[in-house]
Amino acid sequence: MELWYTHLLREKLDQDSLLVQGNRASALGALDAGVRFFAGYPITPSSEIMETMARELPKVGGVFLQMEDEIASICACIGGSLTGEISMTATSGPGFSLMQEAIGYAIMAEAPLVIVNVMRVGPSTGRPTAPSQGDVMQARWGTHGDHPSIVLAASNVADMYRLTMAAVRFAQRFRTPVTLLADEVVGHMRESFSPEKAGRYRLSSGDFDFTENYAHPDLVREVHPPHQLGAFRHPHVTGLVHDETGFPNNDPQKSAEFLRELHDKVAHHRDELCLYDVKNEGRGRVCIVAYGSCARSARAAMDLAQHEGLPVEVLHLYTLFPLPVEILQRVARRVEFILIPELNLGQYAREVRKMAEQWTTVVSMGKIDGTLITPRELVDRVSDLVGKYENV
Amino acid sequence: MAEASVTASTLGSRRFTETRLGGSGGQGVILMGVILAVAAARDHRYVVQTQSYGPEARGGYSRADVIIANEQIDYPQLQGADLLVTLSDQAAKHYLGGLRRTGVFLYDSDEVSPPAVLAETYAVPLTRLAVEITGRSQSANIVTLGAIVALTELVTRPSLERAVAEMVPKASLDLNLRAMEAGLELKPEEWRVA
Repeated sequence: MELWYTHLLREKLDQDSLLVQGNRASALGALDAGVRFFAGYPITPSSEIMETMARELPKVGGVFLQMEDEIASICACIGGSLTGEISMTATSGPGFSLMQEAIGYAIMAEAPLVIVNVMRVGPSTGRPTAPSQGDVMQARWGTHGDHPSIVLAASNVADMYRLTMAAVRFAQRFRTPVTLLADEVVGHMRESFSPEKAGRYRLSSGDFDFTENYAHPDLVREVHPPHQLGAFRHPHVTGLVHDETGFPNNDPQKSAEFLRELHDKVAHHRDELCLYDVKNEGRGRVCIVAYGSCARSARAAMDLAQHEGLPVEVLHLYTLFPLPVEILQRVARRVEFILIPELNLGQYAREVRKMAEQWTTVVSMGKIDGTLITPRELVDRVSDLVGKYENV
Repeated sequence: MAEASVTASTLGSRRFTETRLGGSGGQGVILMGVILAVAAARDHRYVVQTQSYGPEARGGYSRADVIIANEQIDYPQLQGADLLVTLSDQAAKHYLGGLRRTGVFLYDSDEVSPPAVLAETYAVPLTRLAVEITGRSQSANIVTLGAIVALTELVTRPSLERAVAEMVPKASLDLNLRAMEAGLELKPEEWRVA
């Protein structure tokens, strides 16, 4: 019997060692999760995802298309998705901008697909080879109208594999586009990890099982039936507000209900969607809330801080949206400061501040020079904060 | 007189080492980093390998960084180098600042003008050795890998051998294995700069 993580296993060096590049790991995660359609346009620093898919998809009977641009890429993915295949594309900031209108269409048409955005410094062409987290709010609100978003963030190579897989599962289950954010460092680095542990997360938010046995509880009441091409029904797909037949409907009450259902199918499942991990729980006066590469800085900073006697805990977020309100508020109630290091000018800090400022002081630490925040910089900031009251 | 302390030979047994490999474009520095990383993974250690991309890599110098540790590596980039290896003068000038005082410095003595550093230093004509053994300067990176292991035992010899065999083109495997052997046969004490 083939193991569910066959594509990953092929990369094994021996019984228990594995060294994979982040972008490649994302492609392998997609293949192991059953993605069989990929359309894309190459862009640094995400191109290796596409390269891997170009090589591997035909071998498993999948379809790979290089399109003329990112707009065509995501539209092809929507088409692929409507035939019942799980579709995926990968890009970086400039391509992600081009995709925004069609992402809205996919949300409206409830077409499940996965978009990996390996972030680089923007705006515009920016710095193709420098890491950034500048697309966080674009991932949430890049397309117009009130809409739900599921946004995940990868901090290491194992995440690139596992969270791509999670993105596929979430897209299937909630029938909506899911965005996985990574950055140049995570996408390009090669890192070792244990293949046996790759499919399962043990997180504070609960174990998450990505394997094929992952249950798909029936969401019939919240997700509309799929408009599947070739399913012996007459399908109608539109970006207009529509009813359950798929045809446009302008009735104010029905329209409001439809949009609310789109929103609620995500909002009502925060407990399932929000993946996070708390380190040093309950033992910090400062909690560093971090995601992506910055979460690695935060974990290293926590060790350094402990060494220096500073009380720090870390909340590592794997899901950025829907906002993990519950855990943020729980942390906010027990710490004096929430410190948020980001490779942008405080995009996510503003979201957290809305949730948490009634209980604690939310401090943003943004860096936009295209380098990572070092553990030392973080610990210095922490000692600035807690030192205020201690004259040490 | 007391013998100078040797840190190089202890690098392989440290719980956490940061290595920076620097050179100019075309010297195969990135491949060198990947092979080192694969070898370390074969040793069942935690590894993170990063490298310079884009304009920087196309310019005068490029780098590959490898962190090898006994536990999960959090911060993925170098905070200082325990081992710095440079194959070009420009790379040496650019990356020397990041070398720890307790670190080890290995450079190509034909390419790099001798710098004044506090770290333990080894000067080996790596490119010349490559040409002597394989007839091609491109093998300098593989000679260097052998030299790194001869000096520091950063990875085990069997793992290095397998990693080289996996990563280089089949057609040039023999040649590269000879290049690696030449590096592995170097005697650290003969190349130490006082």
